Amino acid sequence: MSAIVVRDLCKEYGTKVALDNVTFEVQEGSFFGCFGPNGAGKSTLLRILTGQIQQTSGEAKVLDLDCRTQGLEVKKVIGIVPEVESPPSYLTASEFLYFSGKVRGLADLDKRIERWLEFFDLQEARGTLCRDLSKGMRQKVMLASAFIHEPRILFLDEPFINLDPIYQRKLREYLLQLRAEGRTIFLNSHILEIAQRLCQEVIILDKGMVKARENMDSLKAKGEDLEALFMRLVGGTDVRSP
Amino acid sequence: MFDLLRLMLKEEYRTHIGYSSARVFFSLPVYVFLIAFFLGASLPIMQSSIRVNEMLLFANAGVFVYGMSVGAFGFLGKTYLERRQGRANFLVAMPFLLPFTFRRAFASMLARDVIFYVVLIILPGLGGVLLSTLFVHYKLASIFLAFIAVLLSFLLGISFSFLVSVLYVRSKYLFMAIVGVFISMLFGYGLFGLYKLDAVLPSLAFQDSVPPIANDMPGAILFLLESVALVLAMSSLAVLSVTQEPLGHTEKVRERFPAYHSAFRFARSYQTLLAKEFTDMVRSGALSKMLLAYVAPLVFLSFTTWYVNHGLAIPVGFNVVFYAAMVGFFGIMVYSWLTNLDAIDYYETLPVSVPKLIRAKLLSFFLLTTGISTGFVLMIAFANNETRLLWIALPVLYIMSAYMVIATAYLAGLSPNSMLFNPSIMTRFSVVSLLPDLCITVLSFSIDRQPLFAALGIGLVCFALLATTLLFARGLERKWSRAGFA
Repeated sequence: MSAIVVRDLCKEYGTKVALDNVTFEVQEGSFFGCFGPNGAGKSTLLRILTGQIQQTSGEAKVLDLDCRTQGLEVKKVIGIVPEVESPPSYLTASEFLYFSGKVRGLADLDKRIERWLEFFDLQEARGTLCRDLSKGMRQKVMLASAFIHEPRILFLDEPFINLDPIYQRKLREYLLQLRAEGRTIFLNSHILEIAQRLCQEVIILDKGMVKARENMDSLKAKGEDLEALFMRLVGGTDVRSP
Repeated sequence: MFDLLRLMLKEEYRTHIGYSSARVFFSLPVYVFLIAFFLGASLPIMQSSIRVNEMLLFANAGVFVYGMSVGAFGFLGKTYLERRQGRANFLVAMPFLLPFTFRRAFASMLARDVIFYVVLIILPGLGGVLLSTLFVHYKLASIFLAFIAVLLSFLLGISFSFLVSVLYVRSKYLFMAIVGVFISMLFGYGLFGLYKLDAVLPSLAFQDSVPPIANDMPGAILFLLESVALVLAMSSLAVLSVTQEPLGHTEKVRERFPAYHSAFRFARSYQTLLAKEFTDMVRSGALSKMLLAYVAPLVFLSFTTWYVNHGLAIPVGFNVVFYAAMVGFFGIMVYSWLTNLDAIDYYETLPVSVPKLIRAKLLSFFLLTTGISTGFVLMIAFANNETRLLWIALPVLYIMSAYMVIATAYLAGLSPNSMLFNPSIMTRFSVVSLLPDLCITVLSFSIDRQPLFAALGIGLVCFALLATTLLFARGLERKWSRAGFA
């Protein structure tokens, strides 16, 4: 069954075309990566799929829910880690998880909160407002909020970017565990080495268009890695200093 | 200094065109120009019921309060700094990264806002009044002198507000002391009639010393110098009081959210959002600021009415029904505060819609203000021996407050500040707000002479407002369901 269906998706901001006829499907239970240079349209795509903004034309469905008309229903069944780590300034980490859980109508919330505070080592930050946490800690709070209801699909926009190597590894292992459990993960990232280890399928976006869609096993069989493919498709082979 | 100021002006302009568009933004001064022209041209008609010196008093006091409402950079600057890691990032946060001081950043913010409001609002206002001289006879010198007085009132308001907001960030006690002195001065004028409002507002004293009110040039020069000296002193003291570490140190807090959540059980599906709103209000310190922003104009208004009625013994006809209707306008400020408590980007990750958050903020508004506004109307009624009018004043208060704030929420959603800079929204708001207020004002004047006629008229207006309020409330879902939080 397809967890995500995208057909002829277009998004325009005034005269700027952010997405141009994007089409792909993601099977349920797969780890799907979306890559591209800055400004390629990755975050716009993720925001449309998570019901945050509406497309100009085309179709976007998540678990058979229309992202344009059923955005709120989509948000109930997914977890989102946004590009910018911005938990509410005046709640503590555990209060935000309590808030997030209550908004989602979760039961046994105390147990869930304890689990995620412990997982991300946030217990010591009890009593500290999110505005006073470091970037990495704020990122952990947003991750915990996305995981707390154990969603069927996770949409992650650069989830590793502010984490230290220990938590990058811990998160990687947890995401692989989710994949093994049959959950779907949609990842936007610039860190190609991590993506190479995690993703089963990828698309490469450039200037709003899908430049390639590859299965990672097929790519390996061709003797190419993600970085080489990325560089070949979107340029940037010259890495000398300016 | 000037490079930073130029960049801040650009930043402010881009922030505002983000609310609408450049075309809409630049129509604001045109809108102000036309309103000023209309008011200037119709002044001779209004003079039959209100004298020129009273009009100038209201103009100066109003602009002073307006200056106060836009000058809280201390609070706002701190808010911007706290949001520096979110989507919104402002030049005022740049001293963290670039080699210039917070003092310079805040001084530039003050200069930026003075330029912004003078160019967009005060100068077009002067232009409109000047144009009206083609149709009515005013002395140009009087218009320019009134402009100087209004400009000084605005500068006094903005610099006073800047100073107290910066002091608030440094020391809550110092802030309380200065606000206490200011309120005592209002008490001295309004409640005890110890002196005229001129003593509190030297720009008004300047206005009262020049034509068309008087011709005391030495006195005018003295008050002009006093006003300028006060503006410079308050602004300089504010800039010097800006701390180099404006965020202060990290504090540990008690986990209160679950307790608030239990307390709002009665709000059912809004329980969680209301608990969040109140937690934000308490922890950000906005609760006291909001209450002050709501109570201060009410106190100012009640002293003015008491003083006009009893101190000056001028039977202007403003009664408790008129004030009950006026309270609705002040509610818009509270709603505006409620929408600016914190960045709300994180709501994008949660199954919460914009209309639901708007409704939660409206509920917070009613919970916060109903008791205060009722107390205010009761106080006005008792102070002016008008308790007999309470049966009509209280329904007017509740209906008008609900109407004004729900109309604001319908028109401007979670960005009511955009209303101030979007003439298209402002025009619609003016129509939906001024028309019923004008009807109630006119009818309230005749309530003692023709009680049955006035009560029936007010009843009809209230019924129409109630029906419109319900339409606005229902329309929130349709209008804002596709809007985003970021």
